[in-house]
This record gives sequence, structure tokens and C-alpha cells, in this order.
Amino acid sequence: MTNDLVIGMAGSGGDGIVAAGESLITAAALGGYHAIMTKSFGSQIRGGESSCRLRIATRPIYSTGGTLDVAVALNWEDFLKFGAELPVGGHTVVIYESKTGVQPDRLPLPGVRPAASLPVPIGDMAKSMTGTDRAKNTVVLGLLAGWFGITHEGILAGIRKRLEKKGAEVVEANKRAFDAGVEYAEQHPLASARTMALPAEGKQVKLLVDGNEMCAAAAIFAGCEFFGGYPITPSSEIMHYLSREIWKYGGSMLQAEDEIAGIGAVVGASFAGKKALTATSGPGLSLKTEILGLATIAELPLVCVDVQRGGPSTGIPTKSEQSDLFAAVFSAHGDAPRPVLAPMSVADTFPVTVEAFNIAEYYQTPVIILSDQDIAQRKETVDPIDTKRFRVIERRRPNETELVEYDRFRLTESGISPISHPGMKNGNYLASGIEHNEHGAPTASGEMHSRMNEKRLRKLAPLKRRRDLFLVQGDPDAPVALIAWGSVAGVAMEALELAHEQGLKVKLLVPKLLYPVAEAVYQDFLASVKRGLVVEQSHQGQLFRTLRMFVDLPGGMESLAKSGSNPILASEIVDRLRAMALGMQRKRAYEPQPDLG
Amino acid sequence: MSTAAKPLGLYVAKDYRSDLKPIWCPGCGDFGVVTAIYRALAAIGRPPHEIAFVSGIGCSSRIPGYTTAYGFNSVHGRALPIAQGIKIANPDLLVLVAGGDGDGFSIGGNHVPHAIRRNLDITYIVMDNQIYGLTKGQLSPTSSRGLKTASSQMGSLEDPVNPLLYVLGYGASFVAQGTPGDMEGLAAVIEEGIRFPGFAFINVQSPCVTYGLPDSQLKAQKEIMQSLKQLGHDPSNRLRAMDLAQDYGTKLYTGVFYRNPNPPPTYEAGVRERHEALMGTGPAREDILQMFIPH
Repeated sequence: MTNDLVIGMAGSGGDGIVAAGESLITAAALGGYHAIMTKSFGSQIRGGESSCRLRIATRPIYSTGGTLDVAVALNWEDFLKFGAELPVGGHTVVIYESKTGVQPDRLPLPGVRPAASLPVPIGDMAKSMTGTDRAKNTVVLGLLAGWFGITHEGILAGIRKRLEKKGAEVVEANKRAFDAGVEYAEQHPLASARTMALPAEGKQVKLLVDGNEMCAAAAIFAGCEFFGGYPITPSSEIMHYLSREIWKYGGSMLQAEDEIAGIGAVVGASFAGKKALTATSGPGLSLKTEILGLATIAELPLVCVDVQRGGPSTGIPTKSEQSDLFAAVFSAHGDAPRPVLAPMSVADTFPVTVEAFNIAEYYQTPVIILSDQDIAQRKETVDPIDTKRFRVIERRRPNETELVEYDRFRLTESGISPISHPGMKNGNYLASGIEHNEHGAPTASGEMHSRMNEKRLRKLAPLKRRRDLFLVQGDPDAPVALIAWGSVAGVAMEALELAHEQGLKVKLLVPKLLYPVAEAVYQDFLASVKRGLVVEQSHQGQLFRTLRMFVDLPGGMESLAKSGSNPILASEIVDRLRAMALGMQRKRAYEPQPDLG
Repeated sequence: MSTAAKPLGLYVAKDYRSDLKPIWCPGCGDFGVVTAIYRALAAIGRPPHEIAFVSGIGCSSRIPGYTTAYGFNSVHGRALPIAQGIKIANPDLLVLVAGGDGDGFSIGGNHVPHAIRRNLDITYIVMDNQIYGLTKGQLSPTSSRGLKTASSQMGSLEDPVNPLLYVLGYGASFVAQGTPGDMEGLAAVIEEGIRFPGFAFINVQSPCVTYGLPDSQLKAQKEIMQSLKQLGHDPSNRLRAMDLAQDYGTKLYTGVFYRNPNPPPTYEAGVRERHEALMGTGPAREDILQMFIPH
């Protein structure tokens, strides 16, 4: 029996590898399993090689895991193109097309001896059952169901749903192909059985969704009524979803002529009184920067999602990275502070997006959500979310009294001034990118500029007390610590579990609020800490460096940072933590005791 | 645009004038433009709080602050996208956009064609003075070839943009030109542009008294301007309008070049239809995640 199965599959474009993954994860969600699936393609727009990576577990999981438990290669050339993403190791069961002619003891995987090496006539089986080898992916599903015991009914439901448009005959043929796969597996049992155990919490059906769609749905829940944006990988699915759904809630959208116009329209909609969203990726964030600054000085709420990918410039558009933190936090000219939030999973994207709208509206500020390609485009099973737990906040509009001699930018104690919008009688004012006085009139007064800068900074200060925007796990007195954010925080959570299993005293901090930097939260967390790691997917270690600007990190805090497209594994984090813990013990042993005599 | 909300005569021009003192040089053409806008708005009679007036950056882009409407003096070149966001978010508002030739045809040039093809009911007034005034006299996209300016001390090496031909070429449904040298005519085309049900473009030859050429000043304009109406131009004739627009830079026609007799539907009309068809067909907001339950 097994509780956790990582499956990696690769083939050429038409092989339906990703469709097979979809069927599997649908079955997992219906069966109450926890699952995460990522897809990866060659750079061709159609065709070329494609792969998917699917992890199914009986307990909650936070990352796509490390080395594969099961590898499926429909041909070796395509499989090997995904080397880093589909790593094969000593415990991997390798299933591959026997027609490739590769001998089981001569797999093209240098230095690796997998646990089992199983050539299967996948193409021939598909052909004999359906008359075409297009059903290879269905045969693979049968093999996986037979060998690993993932619910047959669930997989068949997924196949039926996927193929129903093609007619009953195709569905029947694929059912035969599936059964043939199951039968083959039963006739060729594995040396050591790896059947999946039943899910720990029973068979409660889970949601199945990717980070982009979760973000878009959360925006509608939060009351978003306008979207403006421009297509860009890997964020476009947010626009795709809203172009279908937003009208149903009285909202509207605009696919703009460029990134600047996209956020321009969003600022306009916000000025007109609506909650508004834009979504982009790195290059788009660069282009939107000037208008983000405009929203800061004009104190107009808006939410900007940046789904991070490899940068700079075009970088690697299809791979995840966490290298836009500096740009999100610091990119505007002038003194332009803006809140920056980051979800750590698909499930977490819901509360983080709702909170981003709440913060934007309450504090009248642009808010950036730093998602990343990994979270945005991976499919994940999510436990049902009780939306009643979430508060939706509206911007503070002026009342009748405040509209007498109305001052749009009144210097209040909190720094938040009631905001009117066109159509509101007596609320007329001039919004501007030019520095202005309380009434909104342009000014070049140094004193007023200083007071307005102070106001725009001061109003965000309460965010630093939002401990609910941080996740803290592990032993509170631990001398060794992990700090991680975004999708990499999921890997860090699994590293924490591994470290505990190995008896290491470690704790973890995951900030969902990246800016303003909540100094006190970090100081409290770090009080017991001597050594530790800030783990992130950027070459420079952008969170590590940002924290060092604001927080007195212990001298033993180090950066574990890698450029995008280089997976960070839980095991390597634990190796570093163990070395740190051992180093501290040794250091203590060698340290001369102070002479108290 | 519902323009008959108030009984006629309820608002007068000064109801649209704010207390803010313009920063413009004495004799600037923009004084005349803002006066024409007050008059046009009074003729239409919408209360100031139902008007959103958006601009970018430049001398002329200060104009929203000199009105009592909700103003938005935004960033350079981006007035049109912001105005479209406002109009889509609240189609009941009267949305005006104004700015200079640099704002509209240089840094913001990419936004003009798209505003035209979306055809939101917005009126766009360009104060065209063929120079960058606020930055103290550099070449603008409508400066003539050979012009010597602070940034072209040996003369310009480029031909100018022809704003009229540009917008006609992209299919604008309402195109007019005016000058503060003909206040009544200017107020009339602005009013007509606002009343036009769709995107309306009005080019205003608004001279720069500080950096502009002598032959662009109001006195010189008055001698050469010709009314299209008096010339017998039929504004429903798009090809004839384009023909006349080719004289931009040599002749000064005032009035309506083109008024599409069958204007295309506006973007906001499409939004309204979609709302009528789809509103309320999704799950309640609090149940929105149910669509992710597999079956």
C-alpha cells in the first residue's frame, strides 16, 4: 500500500498525455484524494512534446513532490526533454512503449536503476481495442488503475466526460482500451505492490481548479465588477474566465490594446466607483508601473495580479519564478508604497484574492497579488471552502455631512479619506497624478507634498499588524527556521514535515503579506532563531534581500535561492537544515565554557 | 447618451467653471476652448456631477480642473483608456476627454484607433498647437517638416501626423474641427460631438502664444478659416471629408467633416445587451466555487 504517488508522463503532442492526467485528477477529486497536477509543453504552439506530473495522496499535500514513483514514457525522445521535471530514481516504476525497442535493463537514464522497468505494447493494445492508436492514453489509464488501484469508476467517469462529444462508439471503444490496460496490469503484477490506500478523511468530493480560475472566481466573490487586461502567459486564463462569467454578476470587461490601457481602464472603472481587476505577468507589470503610481497618488483602489514567470524581459514565459518581488514592491517612481500579497497554493488563492480587494478598497490603494506560474496553471484538489467565513469590504464613501464642503483628500487620523465617485452629488473633485491639496487642487508646496506622502504611508501602517496574513508552523522555540513564500512555501511545508520526522527542531514562516514588511511579526518569529533559510525561486534571493532591508535577521540566516525552471526539492532544504542543526551542536561542543570561578 | 435629463436653461456656462485659476499663458488658445466647453455643457444641461472629464498631461490637459465636473488629470497619453473604463463602468455618465496633440498622437497614439473601433459614447477634444508647450517648446507630432524648435535646432526631419485623416482612416463616426477664433462655431461642434451617439473627435486649432508660429495665432487664423457648411460640404460623405482633411496644415476648415449617418453600435450598448441576456444566470456570488466541483 502507498499513501502518496507521484506520476510523471510524457509523449508527443497528439498522444493525449495531458488529457490522461485530467482524467486521473478528476478521479482523484471525486474519490476524495488530495492531488496536484502540472502540465509542461515544448515551446511549439501546437504539437511537439507534452508532459504532465500528477501527485495523488491520502493526506493534504502542498507541492508536486520530488522524484517520480511512476514514470510513463510513450517515447523516450519526448520523455527525456523533461529531464528536470520528471526525475526518475531508485524507487520509480518505469512504464514505457515496448515498440521503442529499448531493453528493460538499458533505459536511456544514465546512472539510474529504477525499481521496475516495464515495456508494454501500449500502441498495439490501443489499436486492437479501438482500431486506432489514438487511445494510447486510455490504455495508460487502465495500466495505472490496474497497478496502483486508483478508483476505476472515477477514471471511467473522466474518460466519458472527455469523450462524450465524440459519440457513444468512441466512449465504448475507449472503455475497452481501459479494460485492456487493467487486465494487462493484473496479469503482470508488480514485484512489490503499490496500491493506493483510501483517503484519510473519507471520500468527500473536492473542488478541482487551477490558481488562475480560483483567482478570477474569488474576484467575483469579492465584488469585482470590472476587468481590463491584455493577453499574456501565464495569466490569460483569468481574463478567459471573466470574459465568460463577469457579465452574469453585472460586471463588464475590456481586452485592451496594450497592458497600459488595460490598467488605465481599471483605474477609470475604480474612479467611477467599481471594484476593478487587472492581471498580467512580468513584462506587463513593467508596463503598468506608471499607472500603479497614479493609483497610489490618486488613492484609487485596484487589484493587479502578476502571475510570475521567468524573467527579465521575455525570460521563460512558461516556467515559474519568484523574481518580480522587487518590481512589485519598489518599481514605481516617487515614494509610492503599495501592499503586495502572495498566495501559497491554489486553495490559498481564494482568501488572498478576497483580502487583496478588501485591502485595496479599505485603504484606497493599488494592491499587487504575486501569484506564480506554478500555482496559476496547476490543477489542485481543494477542500470545499465556506465562503460565509469571508468578509467583503466596501470603500468608505462620504456621508451627507462630509459632502458639505467635501475634501476628497482630507487629512484624517487614519489617513483614509472618504471617496466619492462621478454621479455622486456634491462629491465632485479633481483626481490627479499631480500632487494635490486636501481639496484635490494641484500644488507644488513642499509642505503639502510631505503631508500627503505621510498620509499615503501612514494609512497602510495597520497592515503590519495583520498576523492573519502569516502562516507559522513548527516548534515555537526552534533555533532553526524556514521562511518561504508563494508556491515554494508548499515545498517548505513538506520540508518541515520531513525535518520533524528526522527529529530536527525547525519552524516555518510563510508571509502572505510581503509588503509593507511586518517587522514585528518577523522579529517575534526570529526571537528563538540562530540559523535558518529563506527559500525562494529567484536568482538574487529577492525576499531574503527585502527582509534584510527592514528586519535584523540573525547572522545565521541564509538564502536558498534558485532561478526559475530549477525545481527546489524538500529533500535539499532538509539537507541544509540538518547541516545547520549539526553545525550548531558541534559549535556548542567545541565552544570553551566561560570560566565562572 | 440621455442628454435631456434637466429642463433647458437650468444650468448656465458659469456653473461649469471652477474656482481654479488656469496656469496658461495670457492669450493661450486654451482659454477659448474651456469657455466653449462651458457653453456646450450648458446647452446640454447635464449637472456637473454626472460628467467625468478626463485628460492626460500637457498644458491643455489641465482643463478638467477648470471645470466643476468630476475631473481626472491622469498621466501622459492615457486619458482615453481611463475614460473608457469610466464609461464602461457607468454608461450613464457624460464622458469628455481632452488633451494636446502630443498626448493624443505621440505618447497616446496607440489608444486612438482602439477608442474609435470600440465606439464608446465619449467625446475627445484635442487642442492641437503643433508644439510641446509645457516642456518649453519641443517638436510635437503635428509640427511641420523643417520646424526649428528647442529639440530640433537644425530643423525637423519628419512629416507631421494629420489628426483628421488619421481618425477618419480608422473609421471615426464623428470628426470635426474648430478654433477659439470662432467661439460660436467651436461651442457648436463640441455640443454636437457630445450629442453624437458614439465616439466623437474634435480637433481644435488652439494656438500656443509662447512657442507657436505667428501664422498659427488667432489673428492669423481668423483670416484664413473657412466654414465647411458655407463651402457646402455634405458631412455624410466620408470620402469627401477625407479629401478635405488632406488640406490639414495648409487650410483651416471649421465645422463637421464627417458625421456617420448610420453609426455602429456603441460598446456600452453591447454590454447592456449582454447584461440583459446573462445577469443572474450564474450561481450566487457566495456559491461561485461550486462550479469547480467535478462530476
